[in-house]
Amino acid sequence: MSGLSMSSILRRSLIHRRTRSFSALIALTVSAAVATALLTLYADLDSKLHREFRSFGANVVVTAPDQAHGLPPDTLKKIGLVTSPDARIAEFGYAVATTDRGTPVVVAGTDFGAIRELNSWWQVDTWPSSTQTDVALLGQRAAQFVTNEHSVQLDFAGHPLTLRGVGKLRTGGDEDSRIYLPLAAFSAWTGTQASVIEIQIPGGASEVEASITRLREALPGMKVEPVRQLVEGESRIVDKTHALMYGAVLLIALTVAVSVLATLSASVLERRRDFALMKALGGTQSSLMAMFLFEALILALGGVVAGYVLGSAAAWTIGKINFHTASWPRIGVLPLVLLLNLVIATLAALLPVRVLRSLEPAALLKGE
Amino acid sequence: MENLVDQGTRPDCAVIALIGVTREYAGHGGVVRALDQASFSIVAGEWVAITGPSGSGKSTLVNLIGCLDRPTQGELVIDGVSTSSMSPAELDRFRADKIGFIFQQFHLIPYLSALENVMLAQYFHSMTDAKEARSSLERVGLGHRAEHLPSELSGGEQQRVCIARALINNPPILLADEPTGNLDAANQKIVADLLRGLHATGHTIVMVTHDPEMAALAQRRIALSHGKVFCHPVNGPVVSLER
Repeated sequence: MSGLSMSSILRRSLIHRRTRSFSALIALTVSAAVATALLTLYADLDSKLHREFRSFGANVVVTAPDQAHGLPPDTLKKIGLVTSPDARIAEFGYAVATTDRGTPVVVAGTDFGAIRELNSWWQVDTWPSSTQTDVALLGQRAAQFVTNEHSVQLDFAGHPLTLRGVGKLRTGGDEDSRIYLPLAAFSAWTGTQASVIEIQIPGGASEVEASITRLREALPGMKVEPVRQLVEGESRIVDKTHALMYGAVLLIALTVAVSVLATLSASVLERRRDFALMKALGGTQSSLMAMFLFEALILALGGVVAGYVLGSAAAWTIGKINFHTASWPRIGVLPLVLLLNLVIATLAALLPVRVLRSLEPAALLKGE
Repeated sequence: MENLVDQGTRPDCAVIALIGVTREYAGHGGVVRALDQASFSIVAGEWVAITGPSGSGKSTLVNLIGCLDRPTQGELVIDGVSTSSMSPAELDRFRADKIGFIFQQFHLIPYLSALENVMLAQYFHSMTDAKEARSSLERVGLGHRAEHLPSELSGGEQQRVCIARALINNPPILLADEPTGNLDAANQKIVADLLRGLHATGHTIVMVTHDPEMAALAQRRIALSHGKVFCHPVNGPVVSLER
């Protein structure tokens, strides 16, 4: 034994009061973990929600001014040039045909590969291949209008067509009453081109509005309209979720902070006699505060390390379960988590010391 | 003020002098006067016992003489320096230099060895020196127990560690608060002998005690009652200095 230093006193103190130290460490770990998880999810919220909204289908519709002539052939290419590469685009041509039972039915020509991506929320038992030309996807209600679902007999203006019914579609909307077939077969059969292009533009309301402006400039004469309900609804939901998440972060952080404050303060207050003794031995207010503060900060740092790992794991799991994509650890949240824990630890160490300062050391040392 | 100073001591050679010292605390029911116009002095090398019932103001007096607190009114002079006007930081430094505390409940840090507990007083005073701390333990007959934790020591041994800790910085005043209150008869005798030895070597001892036998060891008794001070020689009549 050559000397006694603050670090050796603190180390022995932490080990000696291991139960109390451990509970303080747990409290600080929980606070750091909760803050890490919430901040990580908060930071990922936009992209996760927009990804979720993509499954609701198109948010912009481009329509030909003249349905009979359809869209110009280079429309799809022009749209591709002014929208982001991850925009989802599908063409549609519509006509009214008659089934073999004599029932009128809306037939839609499209690219099955494209609508499968665009409308991932559609419930389809079997998707037709996009390379086959004589296949059909029957809406649940439309399937009742044909005699044989596997051999669909249709007539358009005296032109008969037989398609292989491959799968059935259920959306709860107008799509249930339609029969979808490949666009090439549709055009060859009806003599009309695609007249509608549905686009799913990724991002929030502002990105969608910006894309619409570019589309209107690139496609003069075309009707370019947002699916207003979806865009506004998305914007509203994102804003509300942001506010909710922000409130939750604050509320949980505050609750955890109060709990940690109580645990750490109890730890300091239960050593009031140590405080009084050190004071009697000549310890200055600042040196004693430094000692208690340093101990709390060591626990806070330990809590941040463990809490960041646990919080990131929690965010990853929550993201995976709720959004089907994991939220990866964000190093950017670490300074905030560190700051939060250091502030809590500092308050928890200094507030009780201020209380202790007002007590009589002699009375404390006598156990009064 | 002359007439308020205890007979038999001279303020000019006092190591501790209280002149009209009052300490008041703000309580829920108004101001509480814990010590009321206390005036007495203690000369260097004197052994004084402070006695009185609970609530008489003994802890307040220990706080003041131990430089853990400052008077609300009056002047407290220790080793020629008035503590009344010192800043808290100056008072901390002054306490580390001038006062060695001996407690009834020993107050050893449980996770530090006997040697480290002695060194703790050095740590808050200046620099730690294991050799000096060991010789302080040897002085109280505990050199062979230096590496033991308090839990491995008897009550008497713990009190001797506490005395070694009080002596380590060579303070001119030893302030003992019920030093034998937690000890059996055998250990009480050991501690009493140690205090007697320290007094014989010139230490000033201020001892708070309930124990008449311990009080009888002192040269003079200062009695407290309801915050007021009465002083008298051990075997002499009680003389109120308040009137």
